[in-house]
Amino acid sequence: MAVLKVENLSKVFPAANKGSEPTSALERIDLELGGHVFVSLVGPSGCGKSTFLNILSGVEEPSSGRITVTGDDGSPARFGYVFQDPRLLPWRTIMQNILYVHDDHGAETRRRALEYLDMVGLAQTADMYPAQLSGGMQQRAGIARAFSVDPDLLLMDEPFSHLDAITARSLRDQLQDIWSRTRKTVLFVTHDVTEAVLLSEKIIVMTHGGRIHAEFTIDLPHPRKASDPEVAALQAEILGEFEKIQATAGDGGNGSAAGPSEESQGTVSDPLAQGS
Amino acid sequence: MSTGTATRFERSVQRTQEMRFGTRVWAAVVSDTGARVTSYIVGLLAWQILGALYERVPGPIEVVQFLADEFASGDVWPNFYATADRFLWGLAIAIVAGVLFGLVIGMWPLARALLKDTMMVGLAIPAIIWALLTALWFGFAWKAPVLTVALTATPFVAVNVAQGVEATPRDLVRMSKAFGVPLQRRVRGLVLPFVMDYVFTGVRFAIIVGWNGVLLSEWFASTKGVGWRTRYWYDANNFDGFVAWVVLFVVFIVVLDRLALVPIQKRVFRWRTTVARR
Repeated sequence: MAVLKVENLSKVFPAANKGSEPTSALERIDLELGGHVFVSLVGPSGCGKSTFLNILSGVEEPSSGRITVTGDDGSPARFGYVFQDPRLLPWRTIMQNILYVHDDHGAETRRRALEYLDMVGLAQTADMYPAQLSGGMQQRAGIARAFSVDPDLLLMDEPFSHLDAITARSLRDQLQDIWSRTRKTVLFVTHDVTEAVLLSEKIIVMTHGGRIHAEFTIDLPHPRKASDPEVAALQAEILGEFEKIQATAGDGGNGSAAGPSEESQGTVSDPLAQGS
Repeated sequence: MSTGTATRFERSVQRTQEMRFGTRVWAAVVSDTGARVTSYIVGLLAWQILGALYERVPGPIEVVQFLADEFASGDVWPNFYATADRFLWGLAIAIVAGVLFGLVIGMWPLARALLKDTMMVGLAIPAIIWALLTALWFGFAWKAPVLTVALTATPFVAVNVAQGVEATPRDLVRMSKAFGVPLQRRVRGLVLPFVMDYVFTGVRFAIIVGWNGVLLSEWFASTKGVGWRTRYWYDANNFDGFVAWVVLFVVFIVVLDRLALVPIQKRVFRWRTTVARR
C-alpha cells in the first residue's frame, strides 16, 4: 500500500516584480512511495526540494496536483519532521519539548519519548534545557522528537547540513541504526550525494525547475560506510547525473515553457561541496 | 639568589595586599549597590540643600518628622490600604485584558486591523482624562479609581504583548504547524513563554501609569486613599504633608518593583538562569 502518492504536482511562484517571469519551483511531479522505505531527494540548490517538503508538510499550498498520504491502517497520516536546525523550545526541557508535539502526555508517551532519547544517546538529558546541550545533541533531540510521534511519513530537510563534519557523521550512523530498527517511511532531502547513498533505499535526483531527473534503487545492507566500494561506485554514478544536469543548464535550452528563471540556471552548486 | 627572589616575592605580596585594600574600597563604591547608595546620598543631600535654600521646599528632616506623626496618628495604613486595593484590582484587570488583547492583535491580522489603532488611541489618552471621565461617570465610588487604572494601563500591556507575538520565531511556529500542534497548546507552549519578556515590560509601564491613574482619580473623586490624603494636605497648604505623601507613594512603587516584580521575573525566567549557571 502506498504511503505517499503525489500526482501531477506543480508549484509556480508568482513573479516577484513587474517584468520578471513567474518561477516554476515544481513541475508535474509524480511519485509513489511504499511503506517502510528510506528515500532521499537530491539535487542542486534551487531545484525545488525544500518547496516539495514544505508542500508535503502543509506549510505551503501546491499550485496544482494532488498529494495523498495514508497511514498504515488507512487512518489519517501522522507526520514527523526534522529541520535543518533543532527548533526546540528554549524554555522547555528536552522531555517537555517532545511532549509538546504529542496530544497525549501519559506514561506511555513518556516511555516512548525516553526510548527514542535513549536511541540517540540522550536519555540522561531529558530534564535539561536545550541551551545546556551542544548543537549536535540538540539536533539529536529533534530526531528523537520526530520519531517519537510514530510518524507514517518522516520528513527530514537537510538535518545534518548545519553540523560539523564529525558530528554529522556520527549522527548519520545513528540515523542508520534507528531507521534499521524502526523502518519508518522517510523522505530525506539533501544536497550531499554521499549522505544519500549511505542512508537510502531509493534516491530521487531532481533537476532545475523542479522536475525528477532520475531514480536509483539501492540494495545494500546497513550499516554502510563511505569507504565501501559499492557506495563509492553509486556515488560516482549519481554525480555523473549531476554533471548531465549541469550541462543541460549550461545550454540554457531545456525546452520547458515554464522553465526555470535565469537566476536559478546560474546557481548550479557543486554537489561535492558538502560531501564527507 | 633564592633569598633575592623571596624578598621580591614578599614585596610583591605586600604591594598586592596594600593595593587590595584600596581596590576593595573602590570596588565597593563602583559596585551596583555602591552606586545605588551613592545616588541616594547625593539625592538626599541635594534635597536638604534645596530645603534649606527655599522656604517652600520642605527638607527631608521635616518630611520624615511629618511622616512619623502621620504614622502615629494611624492615618497612613487605612489610606494606603484603600489605594493599594483599588490599584491592584485595576492592575489585575489591565494585565488580563492587556495580554488577551495583545495575543488576539498579534495572532490575527483582522484583529490587528480592527484593534491596533484603538490601542494606540488608548496609549495617547493620559491618565488624568480617564480620572476626570470616570469621576463624571461613577462619582465617589471604587469604580472610578479601579477603572482609571485599568483603562490607562491596558493599552501598555496590550501593545507590548502584540509586539511580542509578532516577534515569535517563525521557525518555531512552522515546527509547531508541521507537527500539527493545536492552537491552544501552541499559545501555551510557544507564544506565551516567548512574550513573557514583553509582558513584563508592559506590566512595568502599566504599574507606573496605573499608579499615576489611581492617585489622580483619588485626587478628584475620593474620600480616602493616598491621592485623597495628598490633596487633603495640599488644600490645607501643608507642604510638609504634601511632600511626605509623595515620598510615600514613590517608595511604594520602588518596593513593589523590588519585592514583587523582580522575584516573579526570576521565577518565570528560571530556564535562563539554569542555562547561565552552567
